[in-house]
Amino acid sequence: MSDGRLNAFLNRFADVRAAETRAATYLFTFFFLTTFSFYIIKPVKENFLIGVTPAWWPYADLATALLIGFVVAFNARLIDHLPRRAYMTGTILFFVSALFVFWYVFDTGQQLLARTPMIHSSAVYGVIPFQVIIRDIWPLPVFVFCFFSDVFIAMSVTQFWIAVNDTFDPYQAKRLIGLFVSGGLLGGIAGALLTSLLVRVVGPENLLLFCPGILLLVLATVHLLHGEQRKLRGGSEPPSPGPKARVGYLESFAAVRKNKYLLLLAGLLASAMVAGSLINFQFKIVVKDVYEYDVGRTSFLGNFYLGVLFLSTVFHWAATRRVLKNFGIRLALLVAPVFLLLGSLSIFLLPAGLFLVWAIFVRGSDKIFDNTVSQSVRELLYIPVPEDIKYRAKIFIDMFVNKFAVGLGAGLFLLLFHVSRFAYKPASTQVREIGFLVLGFIALWIVLIVVVYGLYPSVLKKDLNRKWIDANKAVKDNVDMDVTGRVFDALESRDRSTTLYIMNIFDLIRKGSLSPELKELLGFKQDELRARSLDCLLDVGGEVFFRGFEEAIADKDFEVEVRKVFASDDYKAVMEKRLEGIAGSESDIDRMEAAKLVGMMEPTPEVMRTLGLLLRDPSSQVVTYALGGVAVHRPREHVPLVLRHLESPLTLQDAQTALAAYGPAVEDVLKEALQDRNGPPGARRAIPEVLSRFGTQRSADILLAELACRQEDLEADIVEALYKIRAVRPDVRFKAGKVRQEILFLIERSYEIFLEEVLPGMGRPGADTRAEALLDLKIKRVFDLLTLIHPAEDIVKAYQNILQGTRKSVDYSLELLDNLLDRDLKSALFPLIEDLPPAERAARLRKAIPGLGQTSVRSRLK
Amino acid sequence: MIITTRDTDDVVIFDITGEIRRSDNMETTLHHLVKTHLDRGKRKIMLNLEKVEFIDSFGVGEILASYISTQNLGGRFKLFNISKKLLLIFQITMLTKVLDIYEDEDCALRSFGQA
Repeated sequence: MSDGRLNAFLNRFADVRAAETRAATYLFTFFFLTTFSFYIIKPVKENFLIGVTPAWWPYADLATALLIGFVVAFNARLIDHLPRRAYMTGTILFFVSALFVFWYVFDTGQQLLARTPMIHSSAVYGVIPFQVIIRDIWPLPVFVFCFFSDVFIAMSVTQFWIAVNDTFDPYQAKRLIGLFVSGGLLGGIAGALLTSLLVRVVGPENLLLFCPGILLLVLATVHLLHGEQRKLRGGSEPPSPGPKARVGYLESFAAVRKNKYLLLLAGLLASAMVAGSLINFQFKIVVKDVYEYDVGRTSFLGNFYLGVLFLSTVFHWAATRRVLKNFGIRLALLVAPVFLLLGSLSIFLLPAGLFLVWAIFVRGSDKIFDNTVSQSVRELLYIPVPEDIKYRAKIFIDMFVNKFAVGLGAGLFLLLFHVSRFAYKPASTQVREIGFLVLGFIALWIVLIVVVYGLYPSVLKKDLNRKWIDANKAVKDNVDMDVTGRVFDALESRDRSTTLYIMNIFDLIRKGSLSPELKELLGFKQDELRARSLDCLLDVGGEVFFRGFEEAIADKDFEVEVRKVFASDDYKAVMEKRLEGIAGSESDIDRMEAAKLVGMMEPTPEVMRTLGLLLRDPSSQVVTYALGGVAVHRPREHVPLVLRHLESPLTLQDAQTALAAYGPAVEDVLKEALQDRNGPPGARRAIPEVLSRFGTQRSADILLAELACRQEDLEADIVEALYKIRAVRPDVRFKAGKVRQEILFLIERSYEIFLEEVLPGMGRPGADTRAEALLDLKIKRVFDLLTLIHPAEDIVKAYQNILQGTRKSVDYSLELLDNLLDRDLKSALFPLIEDLPPAERAARLRKAIPGLGQTSVRSRLK
Repeated sequence: MIITTRDTDDVVIFDITGEIRRSDNMETTLHHLVKTHLDRGKRKIMLNLEKVEFIDSFGVGEILASYISTQNLGGRFKLFNISKKLLLIFQITMLTKVLDIYEDEDCALRSFGQA
């Protein structure tokens, strides 16, 4: 099958990208063959184990629990020291050889046990001592085989996931995990089916002879995969910890112990395993009670695993992705324990005659969930763990914690067996008594899920930093814009008008902003200022008012003295007369002085009338000073005049400041101006900024309502204003439904831009980049709006890292969004922001909204 | 005020001559020019202030608005060749705490590589 056809085929089951096709196929095959062999080994092992007395059962698990640590350490060193390919080859060949040995032992053992004291036919080859040993130590080989079986599956699964990690990054792995799990399930079905069909023909022990052949196929797959890994990595070898990075089980343990999240995760997995182990003992008790003989029992076990795996596959294909996509990790994690909790409670209500049905149901459910949702989610829970720690922790948790938990389950069973004298009790009583322990561990399991899930997002976010600061906040935190403007205006006015200069200085003094550095700066031209301060305003006839400017502004009484002058009736009368004179002057400077003066005077009707005149002045500089006066007196009657000045970029900033000074009292006027479709467009675009400075609930509501009118020329300013409100006013509430509608609209518009404007120009030399830039802006607005209904900091971090982060932080960001956003938003947004080839992105966008590209979004929305 | 624009790779450099101040004869504003380039997908903006004699409150507002627009899109906005006098005013008003200011064009360009 060609790569293209194979990719098309695989895409029916999972989201496999073209470049990933071969590697994904090899990994699928790897897991398929591994579980194929394991599900031949497993029923054979279980059959032999159930065949011995129940008092011995726990020792198999205990042996695993005690010894697996050494295997973990040894395996870690092998991984550490051997090239990956050599490691895989060596371990697989070891398993092949061992399976031949076990076949011989079981075959011999079974015949010896059946026909004692006859000697097995192999005696003619001089192996009588072996036969004697096997007979003498029986059933020890059963326990050794159980241990081997556990080592085999643990190492094989670890090898498989290491191969996955060597081939794909975490986000790719997350996409493909469903396909790999399917491979494992199908392999298990094949193994269980083979066991079920052939056990009555060849006997349990001879089934083992199939496994070496299957494992040699695994070996061939591993070699093919290795070649593909080199291709994907551009010829380089898969990363290896190297000989210095020794990872023994103690180091692995340390990695888990130092990390609270991993510790809790290990606890979660352990409690699930203990519960599963105890359920397994309940199952064995019931099976032993019902099936007395080897062949029947192995056949039942083969059928049981066949059923479990078949249902797992059906459940996996039909539900795992949906459960994860629709309900997220937490609910996916809770499915298994809640189901088992209910199943375990039912044992206290059912009659003994139904126990086999119950055992099949509960043990089957445990295995089905373990094979599907739980396995997928467990892998997802490792995503936020740093790569090097994850590598060590996975070895420890997968190969040590799990087996230790099984050992703990075995220990508890052993304790119960002796303390409660199980040997003298009927199977039904034994099962019910174990049930109490099962319920306890399931409860612990549920509690740990809640705790781990609570930590998951914070662990995910820990290494997710802002790539750039919020510029609005940076300016607000560091720069006093009012003072800065006055300083520059003071300096600018110094050469233009001494009066203006001094009035600006006085403003700075009144605001207490005249620092020593600023005084020094403003004193550059002290000689020119000397004795000319307020004389033109106060008609002091050229008499020296101040000895020197520095001395004057250094005098703390200066402000008080000037205030007293301003407050006197005589001064007011003189100034009103003076104002009238200069406000109508031909000179721009005179009118600027008048406009500045207004802001320093009492707001009498005459002064306000003059202010109105100055607001109509043709000079933007005069208007700017007049707007300063508006900010001081806030006359309602001049609001329409101020609104007019939003249109010009020369007066825009000062007009916004003046309107902001009115406060929420002018919200209605601003709302009306914003909604006026015939109003000046520049002024309308400037209003959202003013409303954002109010930051009230009503301002937010006005902006959101206007955004819903979907006027593209206002979109940027409204979204930015809403984002600013959210940034500084977390108490303001936004109606999630309305915000979602606008987000989805923006996403649809982004789809349209990509398909109709960006895609056609891609790859063309000299293509216009404006469409791409517009798409970027739309996506930014989507994220800005997301901050209104989701934790703002998380959304901002996710956006910034998707835009400028490393591959790893992009993965974390997508995972964070996956946890934050609801299903609809995720499925709409992800095709836009995931790293996809253009053609694939286009296909997904078209799939997400059928008909896109044929009919414009706007016309469809109408 | 005269603004000329030149591109160096993906960096847009505005060479400004004269005073950045409010003027009724102004055809376009600095912020408007910066936004035009941002709309074309440019994210690295530099202002050459070598021939800038003075800046008024309007000019400061334009520079800060340009900085905010660029920065909030994940871009970088830098000034260079600023006079000692202007630098002193920028320092006193704390503008140097938010604006990236470099001695010359080479330093400013190199700083993009370090970011």
